[in-house]
Amino acid sequence: MSLPLIDTRFSFFTGKGGVGKTSLACATALRLAEAGLRVLLVSTDPASNLDEVLETPLGPTPTPVRAVPGLQALNIDPEAAAAAYRERMVGPFRGVLPDAAIRSMEEQFSGGCTVEIAAFDAFAELLAGAGPVGEFDRVVFDTAPTGHTLRLLTLPSAWSQFLASNTSGNSCLGPLSGLEKNKAVYAAALAQLTQADQTTVVLVARPEHAALREAERTRHELAELGVTHLRLALNGVFAPEQATDAVAIAMRERHAAALQRLPAGLAGLPSSRTGFIPRGLVGLAALRAFLHPADVALAARSAAPLPEVPQGLGGLLADIEAAGHGLVMTMGKGGVGKTTVAAAVAVALAQRGHPVVLSTTDPAAHVTWALGEAVPGLTVQRIDPAAEVQRYRDEVLAKAGAGLDASARAMLEEDLRSPCTEEIAIFHAFARTVDAAAGGFVVLDTAPTGHTILLMDSAEAYHREVMRTQGDMPEAVRQLLPRLRDAQFTRVLIVTLPEATPVHEAERLQADLRRAGIEPFAWVINQSLLASGTHDPVLAQRGDYERPYIDQVLQHAARRCALLAWQCREPVGADALRGLFGEG
Amino acid sequence: MSQLDVFEPAMCCPTGVCGVSVDPVLAQFNADLQALSALGVTVVRHSLSHDAAAFASQPAVVQEMQAGMDRLPICMVDGHIVTTGLYPSRLQLMVKLGLPIATEDKPRVKLGDCGCQPGQCG
Repeated sequence: MSLPLIDTRFSFFTGKGGVGKTSLACATALRLAEAGLRVLLVSTDPASNLDEVLETPLGPTPTPVRAVPGLQALNIDPEAAAAAYRERMVGPFRGVLPDAAIRSMEEQFSGGCTVEIAAFDAFAELLAGAGPVGEFDRVVFDTAPTGHTLRLLTLPSAWSQFLASNTSGNSCLGPLSGLEKNKAVYAAALAQLTQADQTTVVLVARPEHAALREAERTRHELAELGVTHLRLALNGVFAPEQATDAVAIAMRERHAAALQRLPAGLAGLPSSRTGFIPRGLVGLAALRAFLHPADVALAARSAAPLPEVPQGLGGLLADIEAAGHGLVMTMGKGGVGKTTVAAAVAVALAQRGHPVVLSTTDPAAHVTWALGEAVPGLTVQRIDPAAEVQRYRDEVLAKAGAGLDASARAMLEEDLRSPCTEEIAIFHAFARTVDAAAGGFVVLDTAPTGHTILLMDSAEAYHREVMRTQGDMPEAVRQLLPRLRDAQFTRVLIVTLPEATPVHEAERLQADLRRAGIEPFAWVINQSLLASGTHDPVLAQRGDYERPYIDQVLQHAARRCALLAWQCREPVGADALRGLFGEG
Repeated sequence: MSQLDVFEPAMCCPTGVCGVSVDPVLAQFNADLQALSALGVTVVRHSLSHDAAAFASQPAVVQEMQAGMDRLPICMVDGHIVTTGLYPSRLQLMVKLGLPIATEDKPRVKLGDCGCQPGQCG
């Protein structure tokens, strides 16, 4: 067992929700403090329970952690920061401007971008090294800006048009316009991230193939932005000497196999391994035990019965099938298994004799791979984001760019380089897919977010009412917007894991969809060890740890829910996917 | 030289690429404003999402919005509203701004095109 080696002043932990970024960041910060350094730990995770982990009430300024000399921590909730920012921008105009105007402004500040930028705003201030940071030898962040945010901020227009304080500007950066920081602070923060002697970025991943492929994608994305001082932290490695339970044996083998076949880009990075932590790392005693392992007695197993929730996808499938046709979308953050769930639903519908199109944007073309063999009645389509963006750019430049002079054309091309363009381009591809298969079922593993749908919708309304034209909007796109809201046609499955951060992220997704007038059909809680029935002492304890998150979904989030057990047989190929149907 | 203020709905980028489809009108308008700016006109674009204060400070603009959000975009020359609910062409803007227009750009009506009887045209 080892923790990532941090030899720079700043370090960032990045990875999908639920991989243990906060746990590793806390343990690393504690280790650095024990070594006599003055350490500041910064959390920007909105689901953060850092107060609980460090047994210290935290706020937006550094607070000394009780009983750990040298360690201070602060907690920034980017959602709260984004909400405060939105209120600052919109609030003064309530009652001054018409309600319709207020609503449209609010939506512009409600996207994921606003939260991302609000988080970066917090990073930037600290990275600039001013204020409280000056007193610390090491600053450890439990999250990192995403490639999307970094790309937004590296667009030349971000500086030339936007932060230069004019009032027009690129609205993909709209959320940025009123932030207090100036160009120099952002530029310095970006530069800091690429300096190998200043900043380390730790890629945190579970030892599973899909998770490692995700980490490799992040590595590649960061490398393209010049962020190359990286570490790989393999967290949650399950390698017990004795494993007699079928679930434990399967998990041990799967982890070992994934570690043997690391993607080449990751294999070249300095790496560290940390073990499976059954109950998370909550409390300083738990953190210290993690740093200085001794034999720790396992807590007693819960005697409570399993939560009352249908196991397997069978029940949901019966209702989906009853409609005879329609659109099924699986939504969720990367790593929760939305591609697997989409593939399982598609295979089951095809096997029951329905024509099905399964469409994926997964860059690893995971679906085709997950299906293995051909299934009669099932067509698998891959939407390639890069190809779609190219196609969209070419179309736009051919149509709208034709009559423009060189400088106007250059502005258009610049706007087309925005990362938001990808979402739009994929939306178009997605509309074509849905349109082409109105007769049967269409299953999608990547859906537009509620925010994208609302922006599309307002753009559409704008064309209709203001321009008195239909713009150039393809018929398929126009048809799609009302269809997505039709509960008889579209069924959204929100996929999550029974853990704190993934459940929180899924709740956010649902709120986003509801804003767009879409009510999710059901939630799917994936990879539950509790439902697996394992008797392995460590894994069963992890299963007990899932209970409050399953309860939260059942009681507060989902109208309907299905619980999927962790599968001993990896759900790859049509046959293995049947394991997800359970008895339901 | 005059000032042209454009009050636009809360929307994406000035070229509209982030919308559901790129509107050639918007891309052209963007280019037209650049051209006017090069002629010395002070051009200020206010998007509702970034610059609500500019809207609130113009009672005439607020009044239009209360009548309906479809009154946006609004073009204003030196504090007077000149167009609502559409993106005017470069030529229209030049007329509103009192800029000289090249003869070949002026709208021309050929004798007899109006459809009136000879001598009755009025």
